[in-house]
Amino acid sequence: MIEVTHLSKSYGSIAAVRDLSFTVERGDVVGFLGPNGAGKSTTLRILAGFLGMTSGTVCIAGHDVALERKQALSRLGYMPEACPLYPELKVGEYLRFRAELKGVPRRARQAEVGRVLELARVDDYAEVVIGHLSKGYRQRVGIADALLGSPPLLILDEPTAGLDPNQIREVRALVRSLGGKHTVLVSTHILTEVELACTRAIVIDRGRLVAEGSIDEIRRAGGRGRVALTVRGSESEVRRVCEARSEHVVECEAIAASGTARLVVAAPEEELAEHTEELVRALTVAGLGVREVVPAMATLEQVFAELTRDAAVAREAPKRAEPERP
Amino acid sequence: MTGFFAIWKREVFSYFVTPLAWVTTTAFLVLQGLHFYLIVASFAGQLDLSADAGPVQTFFGQTVMLYLPLLFVCPVLTMRSFAEERRSGTIEPLLTAPVGTVSVVLAKYLAVLATYVAMWAPTVGYMLVLGRYGELDWNVVAAGYAAVLAVGAGYLAIGTMTSAMTKSQLAAAIASAMAIMGLFMLGLGEFIFAEGPLRDVASHVSVWTQMNDFARGIVDSRRLVFDASVVVLPLFITVRAVESWRLE
Repeated sequence: MIEVTHLSKSYGSIAAVRDLSFTVERGDVVGFLGPNGAGKSTTLRILAGFLGMTSGTVCIAGHDVALERKQALSRLGYMPEACPLYPELKVGEYLRFRAELKGVPRRARQAEVGRVLELARVDDYAEVVIGHLSKGYRQRVGIADALLGSPPLLILDEPTAGLDPNQIREVRALVRSLGGKHTVLVSTHILTEVELACTRAIVIDRGRLVAEGSIDEIRRAGGRGRVALTVRGSESEVRRVCEARSEHVVECEAIAASGTARLVVAAPEEELAEHTEELVRALTVAGLGVREVVPAMATLEQVFAELTRDAAVAREAPKRAEPERP
Repeated sequence: MTGFFAIWKREVFSYFVTPLAWVTTTAFLVLQGLHFYLIVASFAGQLDLSADAGPVQTFFGQTVMLYLPLLFVCPVLTMRSFAEERRSGTIEPLLTAPVGTVSVVLAKYLAVLATYVAMWAPTVGYMLVLGRYGELDWNVVAAGYAAVLAVGAGYLAIGTMTSAMTKSQLAAAIASAMAIMGLFMLGLGEFIFAEGPLRDVASHVSVWTQMNDFARGIVDSRRLVFDASVVVLPLFITVRAVESWRLE
């Protein structure tokens, strides 16, 4: 559905996107992840045909965005970041305007607007002037707009930014429900969102691709296994024993009520068992009881931190080798 | 031209739900009403009238009162066009809809032109009043309005262009007011410069002479060609400017 090959975009001398390539298959709900300033919005704006690329190609449903702009854009529903709308129009008026703009036939227009109003749960607000809406509702109008004409591909740029927890849950459920019927590419920097709503994820950092794949693949992408231990003893005692192995103990926190502490050991898969064994021995020798040893699942949050940190380290070396732009 | 009519409707609608069009139209009509009253009052005292210098001719060209509002009203009407959409970000959903740049620019331009026509429409009432109490050549009146439309069309195209060049409405209005006044003043050079190419240029672009000619029923096609070029060139630049935002 989306094919991006060697996409680069520079603003003057600043490279926002560098040699980015990825594909999104039909029917996937893909999370587009990256820290702030990673080039997420720039990439999505290029996909949506709002910005041109410095080099590379973008194909939407087989149509090159630069060469067959109209064909590509008519297969795409796009919600820009912050969701700008005309404040003087009513929600219904705005959506009818957008439906006409997107070429929804006159007869089908009213029904289509009704359908998206309901889908985005703004049907009670059709007669409200957009300028009077709260941010959450404006965001939903943006999503309703993207859904107009049932395009096969939806691109949503931070649809949950600035919403309260209930609204976030609703938008997330909406995004999840759109999978199957639509291909969805949704950008965010909140990882739980991707875990809950998406089947695949693309991670970028400073304009480069750092990981791409299913959520499980991304989770493994860090390449480190994890084991969680519950240890009887105060946090400070446990920390003292762990100090020698601090690079592998990634978390240590007291569980207040039970007088125990929780440790998480992270290490490359092949060394994990060895490190765990050593740590358990050291703890036992120190007189601290190991009560529980269980395999732990890395959260995307941790993987993300590792991925973007690795990328930062790896970047330093080749950067100097790159020829300066004239 | 998909989407053209949708954008045109929204633009006209937005002009008339925001106070801008009402404030400009009201102010404009108050001034033109005063203008008309002064003309009629001054002619009422004259016993002898030549066919070439009646109230219609005066209204459409021989006082500065016609030009002053035009020089202010046109920049005010056009300043929002693109500048406001870029400032508020609504330009992004607009340009990511499957519509061509030419449609967007033409729809916005023709919407502002329609507002301009709506603004002038009530002044036809003055002509009806003149016709009721005296002899009136409606062909001359039509020529006068044609000139008002042709000159205004050019000024609005210039305003649309400057609006596409900045995110600030104020900057857009100032830039187009300067451009329009510059063009108007260059035309006055016709009466000032010595014989030569400079004076030829000045008389070619002279809005003052154009209005006076048309107000006497002299419709010169060279004038219309010049007016058309003042419409087409800025709009062409506008289309290129809108397309260039993608390359920024």
